[in-house]
Amino acid sequence: MSNALITIIQVYGALGGLVAIAFLFWGVDRIAPDARGAYVFRPLLIPGVVLLWPLVLWRWQVLERERDVAQRRHKPPRRSQDVFAATLALAIPIILVVALLIRQQGPFEWPAREIEQASTEEASQ
Amino acid sequence: MSVKYIPVQWNLNKYFYDFVLLVCVAIYILVFIRIGTPDAGVTRPIDGAIIRMRAFGTCAFLMLTVILCIGPLARLDRRFLPLLYNRRHFGVLTFLVALTHVVYVLNWYYAFSDISPIVGLLTTGETSGQLLGFPFEWFGMLALVILAILAFTSHDFWLAFLSAPVWKRLHLLIYVAYAAAVAHFALGYLQDATNPFFMIVAGGGAIMVSVLHLAAGLKAPDDQARDRKGEWIEVGDPAVIPDGRAIIVRIKGNERAAIFRNGDALSAVSNACAHQNGPLGEGRIIDGCITCPWHGFQYRPEDGCAPAPFTEKIPTYDLKLEGGRLLIAAKAHPPGTPVDPLTMTEREA
Repeated sequence: MSNALITIIQVYGALGGLVAIAFLFWGVDRIAPDARGAYVFRPLLIPGVVLLWPLVLWRWQVLERERDVAQRRHKPPRRSQDVFAATLALAIPIILVVALLIRQQGPFEWPAREIEQASTEEASQ
Repeated sequence: MSVKYIPVQWNLNKYFYDFVLLVCVAIYILVFIRIGTPDAGVTRPIDGAIIRMRAFGTCAFLMLTVILCIGPLARLDRRFLPLLYNRRHFGVLTFLVALTHVVYVLNWYYAFSDISPIVGLLTTGETSGQLLGFPFEWFGMLALVILAILAFTSHDFWLAFLSAPVWKRLHLLIYVAYAAAVAHFALGYLQDATNPFFMIVAGGGAIMVSVLHLAAGLKAPDDQARDRKGEWIEVGDPAVIPDGRAIIVRIKGNERAAIFRNGDALSAVSNACAHQNGPLGEGRIIDGCITCPWHGFQYRPEDGCAPAPFTEKIPTYDLKLEGGRLLIAAKAHPPGTPVDPLTMTEREA
């Protein structure tokens, strides 16, 4: 299970690496005017491209085909943010209460004893 | 702002912000280790390595707590806006602190074995079928992956490339990361801790995040809902708009416009900044330009364009006066469209 998961992560990462090479050497100059002639910042983009390469490919083709709707850039996801914030606000106390309810009383660890001393005590009993 | 991308945009304010941040983190880590070390040792349940990983882990948790508090605090009280200014650097530093915590964990609990530390971490608690003993590490991993995504997409390039709404949707994952971090802390550290101090601090911080978000959500919106039928929306008396400031008008759905007054001139633009969709209507006019309260991006009121050499643009709206009442067009012009400002003297006409 874990090995399979790691294999999937490795394949995903390798594909992300290929996308990163194509995007940073070729694509970024075509779709981001402010990136033309700017090279020092590009290595900073590599981890993001590797992690999010499907999203990068989607935005790349949207911008390449000039299908980006300028007006949409000015409509923030206000409602989604409210839902996320309210859900978090309710989830926090629930998580903390559940964690406190299942918390077991100690002692969790017995104090350490020197082996020789322990042996002596046992012998005397 | 745009023109040409550089690795990190720093200025004097950001240097100061980052310096204070680094000093606070260093003090916290040093104090935590200093206080915890007398209890640590090879014959004690908690040794030095565990103290260090807890120092970085608790630090990351508290940093995340502060980050989550900044948004609602700035919404409730404008005096907290300066904390918002450089929050992305705060987030990146939080990721690095959390990553240090994970490196300590891997090099201690998962070291000294033929099994890869990552495999060891992923197989932790696979047999658990109940909440008690649930592998809390999984929540920590989820939080770390999300923090990594947010840190790696924090550069302004990503905002322009993805567009601010998509970028913001992606960064809403911070809420999931925090919920996972609370679960990680509550099912891990909280189950074992015998000293109530950190339980109170961290638990109290988490509750504060919860309360602040509820309070900010309940705060009455600062926009003005109007009759949205027809091509024009009535705003009311333009004299209520303070000079150099704006009122925000809800147009439809989540679309909002900000009507600014600059002396006698009135101009309407989108309320969403082109950079990060910050609330322009909560900003003010500085040097003749509308200035975003979040990061200081500027736009000319008359055409919604950033002053040269910058290239950002925002949509503009037509305004008109009827019987002393101000009206705004329901349909926005494309970003950067010039619209002659409406002068207040036209009111008497």
